[in-house]
Amino acid sequence: MGSRVNMRPTSKNTLLKVVILGDGGVGKSCLMNRFVSNQFDEHSFHTIGVEFLNKDIEIDGETYTLQIWDTAGQERFKTLRTPFYRGSDICMLTYAIDDKHSFRNLQMWKNEFLYYADVKENVQFPFIVIGNKSDVEANEREVSQVEMETWCNENAISACIETSAKNASNVQEAFATAVQHWLRLENRADKNECLYTDTVDLTKKQSENRTSCCINASDE
Amino acid sequence: MEYELPTEFDIIIIGTGVIESIISAAASRIGKRVLHIDSNNYYGGLWASFNLDAIHKLSANTEVLDPPTDLINPDETTFALGNDFFSLKNFKTDWHIPKAETQPENENVEEKNETESEEKPEKPITQDSLIKDGRKFNIDLAPKLQFARGEFVELLISSNIARYSEYRSVSRVLTWLNGQLETVPCSRSDVFANNKVTVIEKRMLMKLFMALDSGDQEYLNYDNKTFRAFLTDKKLTPSLIHYVLYAISMSTDETLCLQGIQNTKRFLDSLGRFGKTPFLFSMYGSGEITQAFCRLSAVFGGIYALSQPLSSLIFDNENNFKGLICGKQRISAEFLVMGAEKAPPEFIKSPPRSFIARAVFITDRSIMSSEKEHLTLLLYPPEGGKNSCVIIELGTLTGTCPKDLYLVHLISQQVASPEDDFKHCVENLFSKFEDDKKPKILWSCFFSIPDSNALDLKTGVPGNVVLCPGPDLDLDYDDAVKKAKAIFSDLYPDTEFLPRAPDPEDIIIEGDTEDRNDEDEVVLKPEENTDKVAESETEAKSDNDQEVPKSENEHEE
Repeated sequence: MGSRVNMRPTSKNTLLKVVILGDGGVGKSCLMNRFVSNQFDEHSFHTIGVEFLNKDIEIDGETYTLQIWDTAGQERFKTLRTPFYRGSDICMLTYAIDDKHSFRNLQMWKNEFLYYADVKENVQFPFIVIGNKSDVEANEREVSQVEMETWCNENAISACIETSAKNASNVQEAFATAVQHWLRLENRADKNECLYTDTVDLTKKQSENRTSCCINASDE
Repeated sequence: MEYELPTEFDIIIIGTGVIESIISAAASRIGKRVLHIDSNNYYGGLWASFNLDAIHKLSANTEVLDPPTDLINPDETTFALGNDFFSLKNFKTDWHIPKAETQPENENVEEKNETESEEKPEKPITQDSLIKDGRKFNIDLAPKLQFARGEFVELLISSNIARYSEYRSVSRVLTWLNGQLETVPCSRSDVFANNKVTVIEKRMLMKLFMALDSGDQEYLNYDNKTFRAFLTDKKLTPSLIHYVLYAISMSTDETLCLQGIQNTKRFLDSLGRFGKTPFLFSMYGSGEITQAFCRLSAVFGGIYALSQPLSSLIFDNENNFKGLICGKQRISAEFLVMGAEKAPPEFIKSPPRSFIARAVFITDRSIMSSEKEHLTLLLYPPEGGKNSCVIIELGTLTGTCPKDLYLVHLISQQVASPEDDFKHCVENLFSKFEDDKKPKILWSCFFSIPDSNALDLKTGVPGNVVLCPGPDLDLDYDDAVKKAKAIFSDLYPDTEFLPRAPDPEDIIIEGDTEDRNDEDEVVLKPEENTDKVAESETEAKSDNDQEVPKSENEHEE
């Protein structure tokens, strides 16, 4: 039995841009697919043509629409730049618990994010650390929960969780925690954001009543 | 984990300039396996934008790497990548303000406390203060504006690449007339609001615009005559001729009538779509444009690799491109597309003869101060043997410079050197002294971009290899789009060029939700949505080419 998830946000919920970062193969796309459509395919890398997926989540009676951006494989050769990162609300730093190297690279991903994301100075950003593949056998584990917590403490990150996209363990919780974390920081931050107003969005319908040149083309 | 690149592709694209990036997106879009690769660690090549720190580190680094010989068959030849013909020339940056605040002994760690304690009085701008804000600059090598109804804007909308980027309208067009800056009347309200234009002149101008719009064919009699002659015969006053000739039609005294008419129509046609002038600027700098196309290419399966150790190209004995050597890998593809600046020198039959003169200034105020921040296009007419200059002034609202500062770009066809070519503009518009009304130049950068657009980039280039020209002198990207389109249809005839990409909102995921855990805190999408899904699915099919209304507020002022 299949079900369908429509990507159009249902209403005017708060929209949060979420980026999932981490080495290739730690399960970023799997986490996203598990969260959005509750499916798992080990070999599902990036879905062709998918820029991001939307998913509603309810926290304390409020509904938020998470817009989860896919790295589209661009993390492999470090080709993600500002246009991908800009405007992120939440960053999920992801590693696989059976891959020490992916854990060590969290620092690099955090730095990369802070460099390109245009995050305001002196603002604490809602990072959440995710140790994926918690389904692996104990003897394959290379990163302990304590190591994860220590790294988070050292980096002043207060949210971390181990997940398994494969058996769906903690995936919903991870995203919920991320939003709660965002809420906590958001409440503290002052809201004089939105520096750039009245920009032109070409995707919006414009006045197409093409006028006879400038004669009627007054700037209504 | 070091990743290895796949070694088989349909097309390899070297360099991430605008034309290369458009071709990359178009090829990925029709399902070709694309490798888009660059030796630089940034996107955009000669079309890139840099922050203040990065632009200082720009230098010509065309180091030649020796390819590992074990990857090449005996009957194959290799050509080393990279040439020096098309790299930036005459590159020079200068500070015109002190390094730090002129207070004794605060160069150390103490500095922080000291500056905090005296925050209130206006702080002088220093090199250090600009460097501290250096990441807020996005300095374009090749700044561009787009015509609101030009080919490029239409492509952004039809391909749905528009969703990757934001734009801001140019809010005024200025010209230099009789030794001062004047606002060019663009729209009807501009014409009437302009108190420098007399009532009679207003009528003349409206009459001319109306005649052009109603398809008046009078200009056909001006076959070999200039646009200036046409305007003079129309009995326009000298200042009106100036506005129309140098600003609205961006012509010179030599421009032929037909060209001048076309330019004027193009300007008028783009009015009234997005703002007060016909022009749009890409937020955060023109360098964003290449990245938007690259991102689309990646989303449709293109593989991206920057900072790659590209060494050479392999050809068989019939001079067909066989592969690329990147580090220790040999990567093959049917076609190779590359920016002219990446090509082996053997492929360049004629070195560039013309150059684009460029200057960039950081200033402390606008060239024409006003209450609100403007995004200004100044069309500076030819003067004293110098070519006309395009000057674009960007404020903080464009996302290219910090608050209370301006970034000024100057562009012209080079005669002598950038510094010499802009000398008169600099003297007329800027000041070297503190208490002057004119803006002060805090930092300057000069360079020349070799213009590869008029060159023959085909002769002597193997059949399955295409070279793409770099930046041109045009104000906009329309010509670049035409070139990319032509290259694409040569490579892949009878395929659609950048069909509309689906909106993420329209994507429907087939998935299994049987094992949903209802006790989860998280509320999953309610079931009654299924109706809506079906509805929006047919909707998506039926009005495929309609803009999807994303908000109620459809009309953006």
